[in-house]
Amino acid sequence: MRKFMIMVMALMLMFFASEAFAAKPKVVIYTSMYEDVIEAMTQTLQEKFPDYDVEFFYGGTGTLQAKIAAELDAKKLGCDMLMVADPSYSLELKQMGILHAYVSEQAKNLALDYDPEGYWYPVRNLNMVLAFNPENYSRENLPKTFKEFAYNSDLKAAISMPNPLTAGTALVAISALKDKYGYEYFDKLSENRVMVESGSVALTKLETGECKVIMILEESVLKKREEEDSALEVIYPEDGVICVPSPIMTINDKYSAHANSKICEELTDWFLSPEGQSYIVKGWMHSVLKNPPAIPYDSINTAEIFTRAMPVDWVKCLAERTELRTNFEDRVKK
Amino acid sequence: MKIVSRNNSNLSNLDVKIVLIFAIVAFLVIFSVLPMSYLVFRSFIGGAESFGRIYTNTLNWNALKNTLVTASLSMIFGVMIAFPLAWLVGRTDMYGRKFFRTLFVMTYMVPPYVGAMAWLRLLNPRVGTLNVLIANFLGLSENPFNIYSIPGLVFVLTTFYYPYAFITISRSMEKMDPSLEEAAKISGAGTVRTLLKITLPVMLPSIVASGLLVFIAAASCYGIPSIIGAPGQIDTVTTRIIDYVYVGSSEGLSDAAALAVSLMLIANLVLYFSAFVTGDRHYTTISGKSTHPNIVTLGKWNIPVTICVSIFAFIVIILPFLTVAMTSFTKNLGKAFTPENLTLRYWNILFTRKPLLNSLKNSVISASAAATIGVGISCVMAWVANRTRSRFRAVPDFLITLGSGTPSVVIALALIMTMSGRFGLNIYNTLLIMIIAYVIKYLLMGMRTIAAAMSQIDASLEEAALISGASWLKSFVRVTLPLIAPSVVAGWFLIFMPSFYELTMSTLLYSTDTKTIGYELFTYQTYHSQQTASAIATGILIIVILVNYVLSKLSGDKFSI
Repeated sequence: MRKFMIMVMALMLMFFASEAFAAKPKVVIYTSMYEDVIEAMTQTLQEKFPDYDVEFFYGGTGTLQAKIAAELDAKKLGCDMLMVADPSYSLELKQMGILHAYVSEQAKNLALDYDPEGYWYPVRNLNMVLAFNPENYSRENLPKTFKEFAYNSDLKAAISMPNPLTAGTALVAISALKDKYGYEYFDKLSENRVMVESGSVALTKLETGECKVIMILEESVLKKREEEDSALEVIYPEDGVICVPSPIMTINDKYSAHANSKICEELTDWFLSPEGQSYIVKGWMHSVLKNPPAIPYDSINTAEIFTRAMPVDWVKCLAERTELRTNFEDRVKK
Repeated sequence: MKIVSRNNSNLSNLDVKIVLIFAIVAFLVIFSVLPMSYLVFRSFIGGAESFGRIYTNTLNWNALKNTLVTASLSMIFGVMIAFPLAWLVGRTDMYGRKFFRTLFVMTYMVPPYVGAMAWLRLLNPRVGTLNVLIANFLGLSENPFNIYSIPGLVFVLTTFYYPYAFITISRSMEKMDPSLEEAAKISGAGTVRTLLKITLPVMLPSIVASGLLVFIAAASCYGIPSIIGAPGQIDTVTTRIIDYVYVGSSEGLSDAAALAVSLMLIANLVLYFSAFVTGDRHYTTISGKSTHPNIVTLGKWNIPVTICVSIFAFIVIILPFLTVAMTSFTKNLGKAFTPENLTLRYWNILFTRKPLLNSLKNSVISASAAATIGVGISCVMAWVANRTRSRFRAVPDFLITLGSGTPSVVIALALIMTMSGRFGLNIYNTLLIMIIAYVIKYLLMGMRTIAAAMSQIDASLEEAALISGASWLKSFVRVTLPLIAPSVVAGWFLIFMPSFYELTMSTLLYSTDTKTIGYELFTYQTYHSQQTASAIATGILIIVILVNYVLSKLSGDKFSI
C-alpha cells in the first residue's frame, strides 16, 4: 500500500514537474520540412539568435493540421510559428483570426504573391511533378504531361499519386488539374487505376518497377538522387508544373504557445533573407526570391519553373476544398 | 488487544482493495471515457450534422463492411493457426518446439507498417518477388497473387496478429490441469479425440479471449490497411477515420469522431458477444495440486509435422523478416541483392545519429511504464471480473475495451483536446501523456491474457490463504500472482512491444524532449528511406531477441516471450 501511494505521489510530481524551466525566450515552429533541413538550420539559428531558443516540431502536413485543429479546440496552440501546407491553409487561418500581421522588409524581394497585410509569406516553393525510373522504363514511352498520366491507358495500374485528403500539396494539385481538365480528370485517374498512397511507398514502387510513373513532389526525388545516388528522374510536365508556395506564418500572441511574436518577426525576416533561403535550397526546395541564391541539386532554373507553372486559384482552392475532396473520393476512391 | 488489531488490519485490507479499484476506475474514466465522450459529444454539436454526413456516405458503409470482413476472417484464421501451433509447441514432443515458440511470436515484434512493406514487395501483382518466382516456377503467364485485395489484406493481418492468439492460448494450455486429459486417455480416448473433446472445450474461454484480441487488433489497425488496402481502393474504418482527421479542420475532427464511434461500438459488441458465448463456462484448470501437463508423443508423425510447421514458419515469419533485413542493406531496391548493391550506410545512421539513442531511451521508459501500469490494472481488474459477484463487474471490461477498440489517432486527438489545460489537467507535451495513451490503447491485450489465466485458477487457493490470516493483498501477491506469473509476463510484453514502436499516437503527442522510436520510424518512413526504417526495425528485433534470450536463461525458461 505504501509503495502504491509512493507511486501515485511520484506520478503527481511528474505532472507538476513537467512544466520545464524556461530559461531563454522560446519559439516553437511546426514544420513539414525534412529533419535534415531542420538540423542544418538549427545550428545557424543558434549562432544568429543566441538569446532565443528556437525549436522545430516535424510532422507531415496532415498530421500537423490535425494536431493544430485539436489544439485550437483547447484554445491554445503548441507552437508560435507555422511552416506548413499551401497558401489556402494560410487564407483559412487568417480568416479564423489566429495569425499575427507583420510587414516584412524582405517582402519586396519575393518573386511570388504574399499577403499584403503581412499575415503570411511564401517561404519555400514545392513543385508537384511526375517521376520515373530510367532503369526500368525509357522516358520516350512515358507521359510528358499530367493529362497523359491519367488518360494514357498503357499506364493502367502502374501509376501512383499522393492522397489529397491527407496532403495539402496533393489537394492543390487536384484543384489545378480540375480547373484545367474538369472533373473528368478524376474519372480518368480512376479508369487508369491510380494508387493513392504516401510518397515513400510510391518511390519504392518506382524503384522496384511496380509503378511506371508517379505524381510526386520534386524535392523527394532530388533528395533521393543526391543522397542515395538514385537513378530516379523528374519529368517536368509540359502542361504545367504545379507550384505550391508553402507559407510561413506567425500565430498571434493570444493563441501562440509562448507569445513571442516579436522574435517571430525577426525569424520571418531571416527565413526570407538570402541566407535563410539558401537552407531551403539545400533542402531540395526552390527559393521564393526574385534572385534565388541557388537552385536545388539536379533541378532546373527556378525562374523557368515559375514560367511553366500551372495556374492555381488559391481562393477557389480553399472555397472548393470540401467539394474537391468529396469528388475525388466519389470518383477515384470508389 | 489481539482481536482489535486483527479487526483493524481487516478494515485496512478492505480499504486497499477498494482504493485500488477506485483509483483504477478513476484513471480509466479520466483518461479514456471522458476524452472519448468529449470527442463524441463534440461531433453531436451542430445538430448531429457529422453523424448524418458520415453515415449517409456509401464509402463509409463499404469501409465498415471491409473492416468487419477482414477482422472476422483474420480472427478465425488467426485462432485456427494459433491453436494447433500452441498445442504442438506446448503439449507435444515436436522437434525444436522451444525455438518455434519464440519464432511464432516474432511477427509481434516488428512494427506492422514495416512488415506490410515487406509483403508488398514480395506479393505485389506486377513485380512482387515471390509472385514472379512462383509464376516462373510453375510456368504461369500471369502472377498468381494480388496482395491489394481483401484476401491479401486478411493474409497480412492474420500473419501479424495471430501471435496475440498464440501467446494467450499457449499460456493457458501450459497451465492446464492434466488430470482431465489423463481421465480421457484412461477411458480409452485417443490423442485426437482427447484434444477435441477435452482440451479444446476446456480451452474455450482462452480461445474466445484470444480471438477477441485478434479481432480488435485487426479492426483498429491502420498501418497494414493503409499500405496493403489503399492501392486496391480498399478502405477500412481506420483509413477512413485517418482521412477525416488529416483533413485538418475542426469539422474533419468531428467527422472522424463520429466514424470512430462505430468502431468503438463494434469492439464492445464483439466483447459482449464473446462473453455471451462462453457464458458461465468457467473451467478451473489449476487446482491446488501441482501441474505438469503431460506431453503427447508424436511418434512417426513427428517428422512430417515438424516439416509442415517449418514451412509455415518460413513463409509467414522468416521470409518477411529476411526481406526487411535485406532491405536495410540494399542501396537500390530496384536492383538485385548483389555485392555491388550492398551498403552499411543505413546501419551507420542507426549508430551515429545521437537523437536516435535518446528516442530509444524514451521509448524504453514509456513502453515499460505503460506495460507495468497496464499489467497492474489488468491484474486487479481481472480479479474483479473473476472473483466478485458485483453487478458492476463488467464495467472494467467495458472501460478497457472502449479505449482499445478506438483507433490510435482518435485517442491521441481526444487526449490533446482534453489534457492540455482546458479541464484543469495539463500533461500535453510530456512523456506522461504518451504513457497514458499507450496504456489506454493496449490495456486490453494485457487484460484479456491475465483474465483468461485467472479464470482458470480455483478461488479456493486464495480463500485458503485468506482463512489462514493473509490479507487480500498478501493472498493476491503470494498465491494468485505466482500462479498467473507467466501470463503476467506475457501480458507485459503484449503491452510493451506495440507501445515501444507505436507510431500514430507518438507522432501527434511527441515534443522535442519526448521523441520515441516510433516517431523516428515515422520520419524515416516519410523520409523516403524504407532502408533506414528497415534498419531500425531489424535493430529492434535483434534487441528483443537478445532480451528474450537473457530473460529465458536467467529464469530457467520460466519467463520468455
